[in-house]
Amino acid sequence: MEMFTKLIKVDFKLLLREFLVVFFSLFFPAFMILMFGGIYGNKPTEFFGGFGSVDVMAPSYLGVIFAVNGLMSLPLTLVEYRDKKILKRLMATPLKPSYIILSQLIVNFVLTVIGLLILLIFGKLIFNLHFYGNIFLFIFAFILSTLSIFSIGFLIASLISDVRVASTVAYIIYFPMLFLSGATMPLESMPKFMLNISKALPLTYIVDLLKRVWLNSDVSWIKSNLTFEKDIIVLVIILIVCFGLSIYKFKWYYD
Amino acid sequence: MNLIEVKNLKKYYGKIKAVDGISFCVEEGEIFGMVGPNGAGKTTTIECIEGLRNPDEGEIKVLELNPYKNRENLYQKISIQLQETSYQDKIKVNEICELFSSFYKNKLDYIELLKKFELIEHKNSFVMKLSGGQKQKLSIILALISNPKIIFLDEITTGLDPKARRDMWNMIKDLQKEGRTVFLTTHYMEEAEFLCNRVAIIDNGKIIALDTPDKLIEKSGIEEMISFETMNVDIEKIKKIKGVSNVFVKDNEVIIYGKSEDLLKNLVIYLYSEKVSFRNLKTKKPNLEDTFLKLTGRYYLEEKNGNVY
Repeated sequence: MEMFTKLIKVDFKLLLREFLVVFFSLFFPAFMILMFGGIYGNKPTEFFGGFGSVDVMAPSYLGVIFAVNGLMSLPLTLVEYRDKKILKRLMATPLKPSYIILSQLIVNFVLTVIGLLILLIFGKLIFNLHFYGNIFLFIFAFILSTLSIFSIGFLIASLISDVRVASTVAYIIYFPMLFLSGATMPLESMPKFMLNISKALPLTYIVDLLKRVWLNSDVSWIKSNLTFEKDIIVLVIILIVCFGLSIYKFKWYYD
Repeated sequence: MNLIEVKNLKKYYGKIKAVDGISFCVEEGEIFGMVGPNGAGKTTTIECIEGLRNPDEGEIKVLELNPYKNRENLYQKISIQLQETSYQDKIKVNEICELFSSFYKNKLDYIELLKKFELIEHKNSFVMKLSGGQKQKLSIILALISNPKIIFLDEITTGLDPKARRDMWNMIKDLQKEGRTVFLTTHYMEEAEFLCNRVAIIDNGKIIALDTPDKLIEKSGIEEMISFETMNVDIEKIKKIKGVSNVFVKDNEVIIYGKSEDLLKNLVIYLYSEKVSFRNLKTKKPNLEDTFLKLTGRYYLEEKNGNVY
């Protein structure tokens, strides 16, 4: 057990040394909420179905944190570990190989939670952010979102062997999701065909689910035809398919 | 006592017979070397013994255990340095040492190891900032933290400059003095000759010879060469010196081939007694490279694709 906690500590330190990950997990969401809140305030508005702008956008920004940890940090670290034969070297120690993956899941999850806390603290202190939902339902949605986005990252790590290819793929998936899923640009302002594009992006379902649970509302002002049940089903399917394929495809090292 | 026993090991990749029926034993306390050209099957063999690959056929025992099936247990007692591992970009020397320390029950103090290998002043450096030689030292330190009975080194000196290579050789000799058994692969023949108690020469997935370096050379029957320059010498008399088998003269240079242990002594005694003046005396003993040539009919230094390494 000592080796597992030590591994988690080291992995966490290394994660905090990744500029991009730290920026998008810890600073960017807080920065967005300051900017967005500074412009629109948190007074109830028709545009957001009678909710305050910050109250609606805060859960959306969580999507940014999920995406950077699940789609960039997790897969790129695993691909790098394999490419540099770090995985192979660690296989030749008494460490259980599954600990390496678990440790990565844990440190990225912890960073996601820290990002959430920073966002909440800024939102609460500066804009009196409200939470309307059920805390347990929110924790459930948060964990389901984490697992499903991490499963996509894990699949990337399982299918791609080259670090540069993996980072290109991660960027190609990450940036459109950032802007088209509602995580940064409100879907409320998007025309119908952009909404349809957004439905092809897994992050859209995470952002939608978190909004519903956070506001305890059917978010009927967004014309995307999603429902709570649809979100859950899509995320569970992603989780099962991606983890399933990953377990089948993942290699610790190449011959 | 045999710490490693390999019987009829085979590992194929598709149609390529990477390892094609290899058997040998490694005794406690020796430095055992495996030499051969790139692609001969050295790394596949060592990785099967380390338990990182599952052989297609054959039996391997390391400290009486099947390495592939008893990895966790075995990795408390053996340690490896992989060919071409690098470490995380942003990890520091002391962090990776601490991490590896947490893996082992019977561990050595890594601070002492860092001191011994002169890496202590780089304790807080990022691993990626270390030089090639320093990285290889770190690989040895990480392998030594577990205080292993057997240490596996896969081409540890490849890519090092001559000074760093010499340093590494001394460190490997020290490992033996500490009572550890060393299993190494290398494609430098002179390295195997200098370091190893016994050497297996491997080519195309098979062991083509296995013995002490001296015996390998002796068995190959290759003769020693002595040459010197002189103005006046009687070739016929030189041919009669004990051990001489052949003499050639080229301009002022006399080249002698022979096989007796006292060949040089006999020659010099003769030259002095006959008051023959000579200069530029050179001897060339056969080495493992010559042995490889003799055994395979190929020059060791020429690779299949024409690169010389």
